[in-house]
Amino acid sequence: MEFAARYTDGLTADVRDVLGVIDLAADPVALVILDAQSREVIDRWPALDVYLLHSRMAELRIANRQKSPGARLAVAGIADTRSALAALPTLAQRQRAEGWGQFRILVLATAALASVIVAYLYGIPLLADRLVPYVPPAWESKIGDTAAAQVENSMTKGKGYVLCDPDPNSVGNRAIARFVANVFDGLGSPFSPHVTVVRSPIANAFALPGGRTYYLSSLIQAARTPDEFAGVLAHELGHVYYRHGMETLLANSTTGLLVGFVLGDMTGISAAAAVGTSLIDNRFSRRAEAQADRFAAETAQRLGFSPKGLVDLLERVARDDEFSRALALFSNHPLTDERRAALEALATPVADPRPIFTAAEWQAIRDMCPPAPPPPLPKPVSVL
Amino acid sequence: MNDTASAARVGRVEFTGSRHELFGIVIRGYALMLPTIGLYRFWQATWKRRFYWQNTVIDGDPLEYTGTPTQLLLGFFFALAFFLPIYVALFVLAMQESTLVVLGYLGIGLIVWFLMGYATYRARDFRLSRTLWRGIRFDLRGNAWAYALRRFLWSILMVATLGLVYPWMASSLWKYRWRNTWFGDRKFDIAGNWRAFAAPYYATYLLNLLTIGGALIWAVSTHDFVLVGALPVPGALSWLAAIGCVVVFALSLAWYRTRTASRMLSTVSCGEAALTVRLGTGALFGQFVAYVFGVLGVLLLLGLTAALVLGGIYAMASAGGKADAASIVSMFQSGTLNVALLIVAYLVVLGAFGMLAEVVLSFGWWRLLARGASLSNPDSLRSVRATAEDRALIGQGLADALNVGAY
Repeated sequence: MEFAARYTDGLTADVRDVLGVIDLAADPVALVILDAQSREVIDRWPALDVYLLHSRMAELRIANRQKSPGARLAVAGIADTRSALAALPTLAQRQRAEGWGQFRILVLATAALASVIVAYLYGIPLLADRLVPYVPPAWESKIGDTAAAQVENSMTKGKGYVLCDPDPNSVGNRAIARFVANVFDGLGSPFSPHVTVVRSPIANAFALPGGRTYYLSSLIQAARTPDEFAGVLAHELGHVYYRHGMETLLANSTTGLLVGFVLGDMTGISAAAAVGTSLIDNRFSRRAEAQADRFAAETAQRLGFSPKGLVDLLERVARDDEFSRALALFSNHPLTDERRAALEALATPVADPRPIFTAAEWQAIRDMCPPAPPPPLPKPVSVL
Repeated sequence: MNDTASAARVGRVEFTGSRHELFGIVIRGYALMLPTIGLYRFWQATWKRRFYWQNTVIDGDPLEYTGTPTQLLLGFFFALAFFLPIYVALFVLAMQESTLVVLGYLGIGLIVWFLMGYATYRARDFRLSRTLWRGIRFDLRGNAWAYALRRFLWSILMVATLGLVYPWMASSLWKYRWRNTWFGDRKFDIAGNWRAFAAPYYATYLLNLLTIGGALIWAVSTHDFVLVGALPVPGALSWLAAIGCVVVFALSLAWYRTRTASRMLSTVSCGEAALTVRLGTGALFGQFVAYVFGVLGVLLLLGLTAALVLGGIYAMASAGGKADAASIVSMFQSGTLNVALLIVAYLVVLGAFGMLAEVVLSFGWWRLLARGASLSNPDSLRSVRATAEDRALIGQGLADALNVGAY
């Protein structure tokens, strides 16, 4: 049985036309390479040493593991490839074994990556939880100061924001400070949070690492009862107490690495990486929100005000629409009705609810940032 | 063998692969990418290279790609080590003062830009050192760091001169790459210089500056736009002008690419064998047009499919009565399902465009190059001898990590 082929010895680029012949009499069986014209023997390849390489359609490329890595016998055409394969059945077997080996590597690598991802999703929140106590509070406060400068800058586009009530000894500020002190009393937290009320058209409140907490004026205006105001503030103080800002920082710092690994783009600038990162990070932050809600509920129990105010106020300012439901996983807050259900499950009715602020104090807090006066009317243009 | 006869002989370059074969590889790879959490990309890249290499037949013998997926996978692991310090730096940076943050990000951006030069060079080295022709390996010598530095310094000049220095930059980098390329023990050479780039580059530069600048000035001066908030939305004529700008840009880009590649590659030689490349501008522009129509077709197809699926669900819901409709609506309100849908939609759209780009643009360019090329005096290469193996992995891995790898 013989077939036409092209042969290179892998030492020089001198390609030649040859004939491949199977020598069944030899022991072991050998593939004999003959010159196409003179039929002189060029080389003998034992059948045990030859293997198939990947090649285009209707072509076989045969290599020899004992020869130079570039030694090739290339068989083209359907008739010649058929007779070569028929003569050397081990070729196809070995190629199948090779394919199987590749499959095993792929499965193993995938399993390894999957376990890394699972370990990451469940391990990092735990790890961040455990690591945060080791971060010195002074360091966290310093980070908070830096963040505060950035936040103030971005909130006011560099114009410097308007403090609603710069006097720390005003009735409103003292009432808030007393509330914060009551909340943190006996908790053993290294932080003493400071609440700043800032004028802003956005109804929101947030806490930075180290205890700086911001309460925006629109949210105060939206609150109908002191309990609502206190509930949201207690929630933000919960973030401070659990050091969630620091925890998120620790957890997020590694997410990009993981997403980059999966997508193969370590620069992480691609949109896909951004989406993936925010998906994973929000998992942490929704967990933190639930924890802060629980803190608010417990605080309400302890200080004796109604914890439902938190959700009442949230519902008023951030109604969940269809769109926010669709994007629930992309959002860093749980849906409001989920939070209400969780809070109601936590709250045992308070025996004798008493207002957390006196009427005078609540009025003072509400008056810290009165709604902005309507913009002045344009001056009439006087034509003289 | 008669010397004059062999000197006169010209070796043809053919490309024997078909689009549907490549499409098969791409679609299989894409299907396997999901269950392997993206790891199949290394196998996918290997299969694609095998396809391109094996179907490029130079003077009767195909190229052979000898790299393996495991090498790519390992290389990527090595590259991770490069990125850990950058990640630590980013983490520490995020906690500093804002001016420091800006400076730091700028610094890291520059480092990454520098590394991209290194990565592209090493990726070329990886591919060449795993390319065989007639049993002899190609290789890229030279110093990847030196190349990265060269590219980095040139790009600073590029910014400083608003891109006017590009012909010199391109010729300098082409020369460094080709003059360090080897086929076995024989070195490649390239004779082309900045003149090959100058005319096509400046003409393209000027033309696009005129059309885009002209269209902008015209739109502003005639107020053919509506302000939506702070965002100007062009009017009908401005849209036409914008489309015109895009067409001019695509045409000039096709002309620039084919022109410079023909000129430069036609000065490449290896010993006495020399390359000649003739590329048609129309053919490349045709590919651009095909790609645009492909994108539109895919968008239409995806839109129709989505409409059918949603319509089907709605029909099912209304057929099952009101209670069922409510349950399906509530199902759609669950975050998990929506995110799953979003991810599927994202993967389908991204995958469709990626596949389209591969099958139309990458395939088209490679085939154009192969079919436009010929090799004079190929018999002079018969005396080339093999050199020792090259088993470096890291460069390709870094290229994968930085997303700069081509083919």
